[in-house]
Amino acid sequence: MKAGVLPLLLVGLIALAAILLPPFLPWSHDAIDWTGLRLPPLSESHMFGTDSIGRDRLARLLVGTRISLAVALAAALVALLIGVAWGAVAGWCGGRVDEAMMRVVDGLYALPFMFVVILLMVVFGRSILLVFLGIGAVEWLTMARIVRGQVMALKERPFILAARAAGAPPHRIIVEHMLPNVAGVAIAYLLLTVPQVVMVESFLSFLGLGVQEPLTSLGILVKEGADEMDVAPLGLLLPGGVLVTVLVCLTYAGERLRDRFA
Amino acid sequence: MSLYAVRDLAVTIGGVRLVEGLSFTVEAGQCVALVGASGSGKSLTCMTPFGLSPGVASGSAMLGGEELVGASEARRRRLRSQKAGFVFQQPLTALTPHLSIGRQLSEAAAQAGGPRPDRRALAAMLDRVGLSRPDERLDQFPHRLSGGERQRVMIAAAIAHGPGLLVADEPTSALDSVLRGEIMALLGRLRAEAGLGVLLVSHDLASVTAHADHLVVMDAGQMVESGPAARIMAAPVEPYTRRLIAATPRLSDPAPALPPVGGAALEVRDVSVSFRRPGWRRGRVQAVDGASLTIRRGEAVALVGGSGSGKSTLARAIAGIGPMDSGALAWEGRPLSAGHRRSSAERRIIQPVFQDPVASLDPHWRVADIIAEPLRHLRGDLPAKARAEKAEAALRQVGLPPELACRRPASLSGGQAQRVAIARALAAGPDMLLLDEATSALDVLAGADILTLLADLQRETGLVLLFVTHDLAAARRLCHRAAVMEAGRIVEEGAFEDLITRAAHPATRRLVGAGV
Repeated sequence: MKAGVLPLLLVGLIALAAILLPPFLPWSHDAIDWTGLRLPPLSESHMFGTDSIGRDRLARLLVGTRISLAVALAAALVALLIGVAWGAVAGWCGGRVDEAMMRVVDGLYALPFMFVVILLMVVFGRSILLVFLGIGAVEWLTMARIVRGQVMALKERPFILAARAAGAPPHRIIVEHMLPNVAGVAIAYLLLTVPQVVMVESFLSFLGLGVQEPLTSLGILVKEGADEMDVAPLGLLLPGGVLVTVLVCLTYAGERLRDRFA
Repeated sequence: MSLYAVRDLAVTIGGVRLVEGLSFTVEAGQCVALVGASGSGKSLTCMTPFGLSPGVASGSAMLGGEELVGASEARRRRLRSQKAGFVFQQPLTALTPHLSIGRQLSEAAAQAGGPRPDRRALAAMLDRVGLSRPDERLDQFPHRLSGGERQRVMIAAAIAHGPGLLVADEPTSALDSVLRGEIMALLGRLRAEAGLGVLLVSHDLASVTAHADHLVVMDAGQMVESGPAARIMAAPVEPYTRRLIAATPRLSDPAPALPPVGGAALEVRDVSVSFRRPGWRRGRVQAVDGASLTIRRGEAVALVGGSGSGKSTLARAIAGIGPMDSGALAWEGRPLSAGHRRSSAERRIIQPVFQDPVASLDPHWRVADIIAEPLRHLRGDLPAKARAEKAEAALRQVGLPPELACRRPASLSGGQAQRVAIARALAAGPDMLLLDEATSALDVLAGADILTLLADLQRETGLVLLFVTHDLAAARRLCHRAAVMEAGRIVEEGAFEDLITRAAHPATRRLVGAGV
């Protein structure tokens, strides 16, 4: 567990900085410094310089990280909620109910996920809420399969049979016996879902479908940085560095947790 | 010169000395058995000299005149592959699932450096270990074979290259008692035919005594007693050996005194249970086929049969925790509903205890909560204080100290965990306990303690017991009567002593034969 703490600590520090620091900066993420477009780092009050229209890079980086992490966390929680509920019910009921519920999952798996999100955007308009609802609604599929498998394996364990003999009704068996025993695996996969969602959100934003200007996210910053990488490489390296750090750390911690439980 | 001679062997893992001062020899054609409770270091003793355990050996272990302890890995590998064969406890996991039986065998022969045997030779190997239709088996995969057949294949693979020594680590513990006898007889035949020396590891004194020439009794990494099997069984010197022998149930023991029985309590009429075939295959498997049974007040009945005979399925239907297609259950004349429809008042009557004590306790719960679970659901009428008192009383009743109440299952020994499971079953005040192989996952001493506890409970409280088992000798310590199951049907039923002496059905005779 020791080695698994360091990456989580790093992500925690990044998240803390993204949440707490912005109010203390001299510039906000959407304020334009008309005196300096594309300033180099460490010039005047801009620690990392400004972008092509004079906005403070540090402020934008922190706000972008905050949005990306918030979307990821919310979407992962949506995935956890739906996935655990769906998987637990399918695994517990078994038989026809299980067949039907898992065919729904298979069907959704078969849909091209990007297409679903874009379709949602077209129908309901662009909003940040929709972005994470859409992502969460797709990411729960894997969680449902994992939880179903775990519940089916647990269902035959003698302590579940003993609980049934002790007269515990099904919902209490699920809540008191199944979920605590599935929790370890579910949390491990939750940690693996978060970086996936960060990726998806960044990708959507990169395509211009995600968060809208002047609000920003790591994906948008990477896209802006990529446009000007020949003149100002820092614009790509900063958000790219944060993105990679968060992804690697969360994936590493998640995989370690998964190995402990599965 | 001995085939295999161990002198003053010690095993350490991570600086901790787990086995010390062990000496024994195996001659050609001889069978030496290492016997002891789980954790006594018998497997380490047997595997470490060959480099098959994480331990480090010191002392001396000579196989056919060559030293194993301290030898290079290459040399140990050569000695392993040419001069010794190994059989392990779990026949399914010890065979490679994606290789056919024929490939598996030819692999075993080729690894010893010989040529790959042809089909006729492979079939002859299977024939030698008593598998029927050997030619057909060569193309089958391990999952198609039964547990006993797999263990025969394992033995065939272990002796394919003609080793002098066969090392068998609990070769029969995963099998039912009938198969146990058959596998032990096979090992005996191979010893006589080929002069094979056998080093056997077992926790079960009963299954090895008839077959071993020499016993080495181990406890806590030390050799307790060593000598000819017949001498040790007849006149054990050490108190530990005596305890072990006394704890091992045998059918030749004198009949136990059992409490008297009353009128009919549980009536089981024409119960049938079937399951859908797994996977895509059509049709259903009839697990229990029209079973009827009556158990009287204060009576203990053994439901015996080989693995797959349907005894556990019938027991679960009776306890209301498994499916039941048709038939009727009644307790003292009042009908008991099946499965999910059973009310909490009806559930209180029959409580189960399962085979694997650790798996039958939720790892996240404290012992106190585990014991209180049936009280919360079945005795909701009682105030919380009365329930806590009842849970504490149940803990005392099974002979566990109250400090254990705050512990979690992972920190309990097998015997303690099984006592907690029994306390949970007793907590709500049942009239009948259903014991599904309740002692077969425990080692001999712990199992004997549980049998004693159950006998005491039965005598003091007049509990009705249904003891599901494949071990006739263990059941005899508790039970007035036995019902023998085969292929889903109850084929014979009667007073225990009558069944042992005058078994009518071949299934009963096989079980009795295996228990002697």
